[in-house]
Amino acid sequence: MSTATGRSETPAIAWSEDADVPEGRYLLDRAGLLGPLMLLPAIIYIIGLVGIPLVLAVLYSFSNATVGDQSINWVGLENFRTVVQNATFRMALKNTILFAFVSQIIVIILANILALVLSAEFRGKRLVRFLVMLPWTTPIALAVLGWFWMLDNVASPIDALMRMLHIIGPDTIFDPKARAPILDIPFGDRNVRWLSKPDLARLAVLTVHVWRTLPLATVILLAGMTAIPQDVKDAAEIDGASYWRQLIYVRLPLLAPIMAVAVLYGIVFTFTDFTVVYVLTRGGPVDSTQVLATWAYFKGIQGSSLAQGAAIALFLLPILVAAAIVMLRLARRSETA
Amino acid sequence: MRKDLLRRSVSRRTFVRGSSAALAAGLSLSTWERIQAAAQQSTPTTNIRGTKLRILQWSHFVPAYDTWFDAFAKAWGEANDVEVTVDHINTADVPATIAAEISAGEGHDLVEHIASLAQYEKSMLDLTDLVQEASARHGEQLAMCRNNSFNPTTNRFYGFCHGYAPDPGNFRKALWEAAGYPNGPSTWDELLEGGTKIRQEQGVQMGIGMSNEIDSQMAAQTLMWAFGAQVQDENENVVINSPETIAAVEFMAQLYQNCMTDEVFGWNAASNNQLLIQGQASYILNSISAYRTAQEAQPDVASDIYFTRPLVGPAGPERALAHGHAVFIYQIPNHAEYPDTAKEFILHLVDNYKDACYEGKFYNFPAWPSLTPELFAEGGWLDNDPFGSEPADKLVPIKDANDWTTNLGWPGPANAAIGEVFNVPILPNMMARAARGEQTPAESVAQAEQEIKEIFERWKAEGLIGGGQA
Repeated sequence: MSTATGRSETPAIAWSEDADVPEGRYLLDRAGLLGPLMLLPAIIYIIGLVGIPLVLAVLYSFSNATVGDQSINWVGLENFRTVVQNATFRMALKNTILFAFVSQIIVIILANILALVLSAEFRGKRLVRFLVMLPWTTPIALAVLGWFWMLDNVASPIDALMRMLHIIGPDTIFDPKARAPILDIPFGDRNVRWLSKPDLARLAVLTVHVWRTLPLATVILLAGMTAIPQDVKDAAEIDGASYWRQLIYVRLPLLAPIMAVAVLYGIVFTFTDFTVVYVLTRGGPVDSTQVLATWAYFKGIQGSSLAQGAAIALFLLPILVAAAIVMLRLARRSETA
Repeated sequence: MRKDLLRRSVSRRTFVRGSSAALAAGLSLSTWERIQAAAQQSTPTTNIRGTKLRILQWSHFVPAYDTWFDAFAKAWGEANDVEVTVDHINTADVPATIAAEISAGEGHDLVEHIASLAQYEKSMLDLTDLVQEASARHGEQLAMCRNNSFNPTTNRFYGFCHGYAPDPGNFRKALWEAAGYPNGPSTWDELLEGGTKIRQEQGVQMGIGMSNEIDSQMAAQTLMWAFGAQVQDENENVVINSPETIAAVEFMAQLYQNCMTDEVFGWNAASNNQLLIQGQASYILNSISAYRTAQEAQPDVASDIYFTRPLVGPAGPERALAHGHAVFIYQIPNHAEYPDTAKEFILHLVDNYKDACYEGKFYNFPAWPSLTPELFAEGGWLDNDPFGSEPADKLVPIKDANDWTTNLGWPGPANAAIGEVFNVPILPNMMARAARGEQTPAESVAQAEQEIKEIFERWKAEGLIGGGQA
């Protein structure tokens, strides 16, 4: 407990009786000093790795900076005007939103199911939990490289399985000359060529995002489920509510705030993701999987137009700010609850 | 094997010591001896003793080159009391790494990429003195190498091009023989005709990429040149929107429809190599590195791989050109701590380019042709490949590569705008949109023109490119 002056009461009294306590310890015992001191690493981290790059990005976006010449000469909104006129940028913006929101809709449905399964008692539960968490613990670049090989144009094991099941290949059960109506899969070919067709490539990116963010959402929901008071569940049971009624009218409403946290985390991760698209498709085929992060990189770093790259990247900001505000509100609400 | 360099008397102690060192470096004794001899003979023109040299360069497509290079650089460092470190990274990551170091204002003293990075000119030292010195020692530098590293607008050498890798066509002889072309295609029309026949009758596709990677960029350029099209003119004005470019795009669309599968839209730089080595491509555009890999990984496939010169298109033989598949360009950043040491090392490398060429299994062609007469001579290395080609004269089609290899952005120089166009996949996308039927060739070219014009205007405002002259 602290006094109005910010000093902790109990230790101060105790230490005042001990003449051998060094002076420094009194200083460290002051909440007014200790608090900021402990916050300092986080503040330095945020300023160094978030604040300064953000300010630089804003400055660059209003300048004509290039990789070779990073001096900041004011050009107003010229970069923003130029980037929005570019068809690839518009595609990247659309894809960024599509990948983030569609993947998180799928994730929240699957995470609920998984969390329900994992909250039940069964043999091998620990192993299943471990396996579910595995995608989250694997370094993202390595994981995506694994997916890249799985979706290879020639040696894809997924294709091999489909050939074994006679879905594709010379002995397909479908018309060998036909193509799947939605995803353009050539039934008669030996390979699907997942990363060479726009719709399939988008599906591949979405799948990897879901695979990647599902474990975190599941763990968050699992924690939320265990926090539901037992007496609430018992009351619903005694009242004779069926499983589905309990789920829809009791558990899900109670889980809603924690679900929002899971979704927000997922959106932030997928919205800002660079690695999945860069490793899997490099934005292709024909820019159909390009997202803001990769397009900013190709334009700003590979193409050397630092100013335009910064302008493209800044389009991520509104969504991220909105997500941050919602998260902070949720956190405050849970504090006051 | 170069017997002249092997015949030297050595003491037993020298032999044992040399053998151990060579073994440790993964080199043959003769190579190790040549490296040591070259290092001892190096005569820096300035005092570089006690300095350091940190080199960042791409991982060579022929790994034997890197093994040789690392030992070569180390030996030179030891002989001249210079602490040398060499970092090799994937070529696709080189521009971003250099960009990060420029931004940080520190990093390597010497950086190398396999394409012109004219965009970085303002952060790089002018190497005019170095090029002059190399030319004084070895004669005239190849024009394509000069144009890939010199900016006529600022009159500066922003890079030092020491060599390049030719970019011929690679074809499977058995497939083309069966299609009635025993020597492979020599024109774009033959490519379409033969490729179509091979796809229909033998079920093997062709592999010319239309993706966000370096080989697709070069393929698009080569095709455009053959059709009389170009991105810019001699004076750096954008001239891409022409009937010739539209014809080239139409041709690529037809080539795709008749001879290829849609996997060419999702390729990376290694994909066409892999397809060829797996025996599933009738024709690709690539350097000899894919063949060298196949010689070790798939000897049966390698024995069936042959080469063609750039294909002749409607614009005639003089425009049957190729960009260097890789153009080796060193740059010294402004932040380099020891620029003189970097310059001395470059001169040492150029002085010994015969070894660079040989150890890279003739992937590297010299920017100064006088450096390796053995490569081009009658009965020389390309006539009689010492690295196991069957027949031994398989590499003869690249013997005159100096005549048909040109710079990025030809007929203009490899400027900053062309560099950006090359690094953002505007040309492959232009081809792909039409091939996929998303746009007509004319619409696709118009979109590319719009994107390219914006880039040129921006770099012109930066003062790095010319343009506007008649």
